[in-house]
Amino acid sequence: MAEATHDYSKTKKTYAKVGIALGVFTCITVALGLFPPLDVGPPGPTPGDFVIGLAVATTKASLVALIFMHLNHERGLIYKLLLFTCLFAFGLLVLTIFADMDPIVEQYDTFESTGGWLTNDRPR
Amino acid sequence: MEIPYEVTPRRDTGLYNAKLGVWLFLASEVMLFGGLFSAYVFLRLGVQDGVDNPWPWGVSVHKSFVWLGAINTVVLIASSVGVVFAWVSLKERNWRRYQIWMYFVVACAVVFMCLKMVEYNSKLNHHHGVKLIDNSVMEGVILDKTDQVRFDGEKITFSLQAALPAVLKDLDSKEFPAFTVTDGPEGAVGTELKTAAAFRSWFHDNRRAFSQALAEDRKRYRGEIASGVANPKPVSVKGTATVTASAPFALHGSPRKIVGHNETSLNYRDGVKVEGKLVADHVVFEVHEVDMQLVLPQKQRESVVWNVINDDAAKQSFFTQQTQKYQEMLAYYEKRGEVVPEKMLRGRFLNVHYIHVAADGHAEKDKHASVHTSEPVLTAGSIGGEGEHGPSRHLEIPRDQIKFMGNHGPRYGNYYAIYFTMTALHGLHVIGGALVLLFFVVFGKKLYLKNPEHLANRVEVGGLFWHFVDLIWIFLFPIMYLL
Amino acid sequence: MSSAAEHTHAETHGEGDHHEHYEPFWKKYIFSTDHKVIGLQYGFTSLVFLAFGFFLMMVMRWSIAYPDRAVPLLADWPWFQAWLDDGGKVTGDLYNMFGAMHGTIMVFLGIVPLAFGAFGNYVTPLQIGAPDMAFPRLNMASYWLYLLGGALMFVSFFLPSGAAKAGWTNYSPLATTTDLHYGDLFWTGQTQWLVGMALLITSSLLGAVNFICTIINLRCRGMTWMRLPFFVWAMLVTGFLLLLAFPPLEVAAIMQLMDRLAGTSFFVPTGLNVSGMSFDAAGGGSPLLYQHLFWFLAHPEVYVLILPALAIVAEIIPCNTRKPLWGYKTMVYAVMVLGFLAFIVWAHHMYITGMGPAISTFFQTTTVLISVPSVILITSLLISMWGGSIRFNVPMLFATAFIPMFGIGGLTGLPLAFSLPDLHLHDTYYVIGHFHYVVAPGTIFGLFAGIYHWFPKITGRMMSTRLGHLHFWPSLIFMNGIFAPMFFQGMAGFHRRAFDGGKAYEQISNQVFAEPNSFMANLAELLHVIPADAPLRMIDLNIVTSGSAWLLAVFQVPFIINLFISVFIGKKVTSDNPWDATTLEWATPTPPPHGNFLVEPVAYRGAYEYSVPGAPRDFSPQFESDPSSVGAAVPGPGETSANPSGSH
Repeated sequence: MAEATHDYSKTKKTYAKVGIALGVFTCITVALGLFPPLDVGPPGPTPGDFVIGLAVATTKASLVALIFMHLNHERGLIYKLLLFTCLFAFGLLVLTIFADMDPIVEQYDTFESTGGWLTNDRPR
Repeated sequence: MEIPYEVTPRRDTGLYNAKLGVWLFLASEVMLFGGLFSAYVFLRLGVQDGVDNPWPWGVSVHKSFVWLGAINTVVLIASSVGVVFAWVSLKERNWRRYQIWMYFVVACAVVFMCLKMVEYNSKLNHHHGVKLIDNSVMEGVILDKTDQVRFDGEKITFSLQAALPAVLKDLDSKEFPAFTVTDGPEGAVGTELKTAAAFRSWFHDNRRAFSQALAEDRKRYRGEIASGVANPKPVSVKGTATVTASAPFALHGSPRKIVGHNETSLNYRDGVKVEGKLVADHVVFEVHEVDMQLVLPQKQRESVVWNVINDDAAKQSFFTQQTQKYQEMLAYYEKRGEVVPEKMLRGRFLNVHYIHVAADGHAEKDKHASVHTSEPVLTAGSIGGEGEHGPSRHLEIPRDQIKFMGNHGPRYGNYYAIYFTMTALHGLHVIGGALVLLFFVVFGKKLYLKNPEHLANRVEVGGLFWHFVDLIWIFLFPIMYLL
Repeated sequence: MSSAAEHTHAETHGEGDHHEHYEPFWKKYIFSTDHKVIGLQYGFTSLVFLAFGFFLMMVMRWSIAYPDRAVPLLADWPWFQAWLDDGGKVTGDLYNMFGAMHGTIMVFLGIVPLAFGAFGNYVTPLQIGAPDMAFPRLNMASYWLYLLGGALMFVSFFLPSGAAKAGWTNYSPLATTTDLHYGDLFWTGQTQWLVGMALLITSSLLGAVNFICTIINLRCRGMTWMRLPFFVWAMLVTGFLLLLAFPPLEVAAIMQLMDRLAGTSFFVPTGLNVSGMSFDAAGGGSPLLYQHLFWFLAHPEVYVLILPALAIVAEIIPCNTRKPLWGYKTMVYAVMVLGFLAFIVWAHHMYITGMGPAISTFFQTTTVLISVPSVILITSLLISMWGGSIRFNVPMLFATAFIPMFGIGGLTGLPLAFSLPDLHLHDTYYVIGHFHYVVAPGTIFGLFAGIYHWFPKITGRMMSTRLGHLHFWPSLIFMNGIFAPMFFQGMAGFHRRAFDGGKAYEQISNQVFAEPNSFMANLAELLHVIPADAPLRMIDLNIVTSGSAWLLAVFQVPFIINLFISVFIGKKVTSDNPWDATTLEWATPTPPPHGNFLVEPVAYRGAYEYSVPGAPRDFSPQFESDPSSVGAAVPGPGETSANPSGSH
């Protein structure tokens, strides 16, 4: 049986640190979710809260991908593969939504057709 | 024959086969979950105010289960750390520590799935909602399976062309009533069917006979056309049968199987008609929350559920809060010097979400929207009828007042649908990954002794998948539970 | 040649592996992990499915051509009893079912498995000099998942509900609400379509991972990227298309399955009414979402169908013109660009859904762009033949026929790329004609060419040339007889889903295609399609099309006979390289044994070095070193560099 030649003590420390960082980020995510900082109107998140929340999630995801999945020192082939994959996934998301947001005619607005409710009969 | 580069990396690509393979597989997984996330964004952005069900805020759906989600996140992160440590242990050729870390990872997966079960169970079995025809919604629990139609059947009419009537499944578990065939193909009338098995074999025999008779008659008909008969006799073979029970049998028809019913008959989805007497057709509902997001504010005071609440002070307080929210929102945009976005002026954005109803029928204090009162808020009894039980939060709702009802399962709305689909698919990945890792630790010793590097490679590849599963959850947790 | 196979076995295996000689039949031919056996399994199964899909189409064509007459021969079959009407005529339900399943079977169970599964599996490892695929057991799993998915689709015909009826695209909400009245929702054709599709997608994913991994990691010594045969490049790009485009369809299938079984409303809009009744679902979903997810796969799928066939043709043309493939590098880059663009053109199938001008401009632009690499590919093939002294054997006949047929299919697609003409042509027979020209006389001719070309390698015997001609010429004529009239009918406004062939729409169907006593009308009169002195109407073309389809079926018989008979009595090949080809698969013994090569193969040069000036013969195989520089440039293990380390 071949013996280990490489010293892994430093690697182990990095892994432990990343694990702790991920735990901390989870707490931040929960806090941001329970008390959305940019909350307006009814309780709940606004688009700004989404950006913040997803930014934290992306940070966590990058840590996992880079350190745990060893992407920080991977082969170029894998980078190219992931680059194109993400490009296509992004295309699917963006083009689909863009197609839906750009209708050839204005969609019939049911809310307006009922007269809206901000009329003289405003809630007291 | 040996496949090259199974263990050692190829020089020019720098990868061994399995590593390249798993990254390719992960790329397709990125597209799979990318498609689901796209669907999530598409559906959420596509919600039309005042038409579709509003997209709920994750926190208000999950309430105390937000913490379960958070714990699950930590559990998965811990398991990811466990996998890398197991891999390092193998690299250091420490079998014992490898075993410990791997079992730790599998234990984490088990904990994750158990917490998931708790969550699912609560949503599927302990939370229901009813949407009334005026779009007001009540959240609570449907009691005693009263969403089913309760019916005393006497006669069943069915087609001999179709599959076995679905109504039989509702009967099988109970005492099987003795049926007599009262109408049907010649020779069958009068047959007595005492057991479910007898019914089944009778049905299959007659279905076969019917299709043979039909085939022959059609052959005759085609022959007459081909030989130029002026007015060929049309094909007519009796394809329906009716059986009558000796005594009425009780049916609890699932609403998904029944397409229509009235006082004397019940129509199943598969075309089977049951005649008899309707016993009860109302839903007994324990109200926890009243939600009027979908009711236009000027119509709220006419809504059915509003009339059920008999506390004027509570109602007044509800509107006061709603107006106050509106003013706050105006002030927010004025302070920022922005024009109020149009969508904030309408629909759900101006509604205070819920009135919570306490167990004794009182309105309950809530963080975001509350009606402070010490009076009972619900009229006892039933919608559109007299109350019977005194003040409580139990309501009897006639079925024709209900637009849609169900548990908080995938049917309940698009949020629930995508929540269940994505978390279940993720759960399947967790189970699959855990099984593979378990295999590596339980049956790995032999390979370890033969070629430890090969086992390390396997663990690295399995670990890559496991980290990916963790990575998906890192995104799922905020968008499903929090945002 | 079998003695050569035995010989190899003994040589490539260590003594410990000796017992493998006595592998039982089921292990060697049924649960085999050998890429060649799996390739043959794929090929055989997909040919059966192709024949079945063809049969469904012939029944549909009867209903279109003669909507008033009983179906001949079939009316007394027990299964058809339930689906034909009293007079033995095809019902709308049956037509819908056969239409949906014809598309599904031909695309997902016929052509893709034949092109990618069979040819890809058999040829790719041989051409790159690999002993097998990178993951042989995954390869086997891929085949068995495919078979299971196909079996489910086939079994669904015999369920009370029949098979799926909502078109091969399975659009929601039609597909969500069809057959919901059956008691057991899981065992309805519509649900089984989704389950079967999920299995097929999984199978394709496993296959794609395996192919890409094999091509990247298992190339033999000296096989650099630019020495790869074009077929391998096409397989690589096809693999990526399958790998990255299929998962969104899996998402769509899962979501539609949830809609049907769990009652969700992913694709069910608010307020949907079905048969006058409010549909019992929460609503809020989007039918358009399904279309996006579906076409995100289904457009790349078109290239999955066409690229392998095109690549087979690219193998056969240089071999039979004795000239190098013209513009090899350009073709490689073109196929990569094609693969990339294939992911961002999908919404040109959806112009009619009411997309706005901005987004349709984007998709029109990318769609027109993608014709550039396609034209590069087809032009290179054409130029490859220029000035060659062409050997017109049967594979070459099919390969040359491929080019104009594919060209017609491609060029008639251009009007469909623009939203304005597409609004008129959408869902008409024009569309049917367009994509069938690409797929039927295009891809299928390419695949036939491949079968005739590699048959000697697989069996050690040649296929009969006479039967091959009897197969080719009528096929060419009747393929055009089927699909050419569709263009005219489509432009006249014939709708693809009309099961009476457009009879109900008199103003459209009575349009005159050819005046009485014109050449076409006389021809039709001669063939008893129309009475004397009558105009040839658009609706009469239905009969031309249907007749051609049935005759096409008749002339597949010589092929089937040829395929089976030649295995036993075909002329034996006299060498391992009967076509004098250059690529590595001809370096193996015939038929290749498990493990493929007797000695580790080395690629010394590019894939298409025919008629090299100064060379002793008119072909210089990749696997033969240059006699003038023996042993000069043998790359080390795992090296693919043309100038390996250590030399010079």
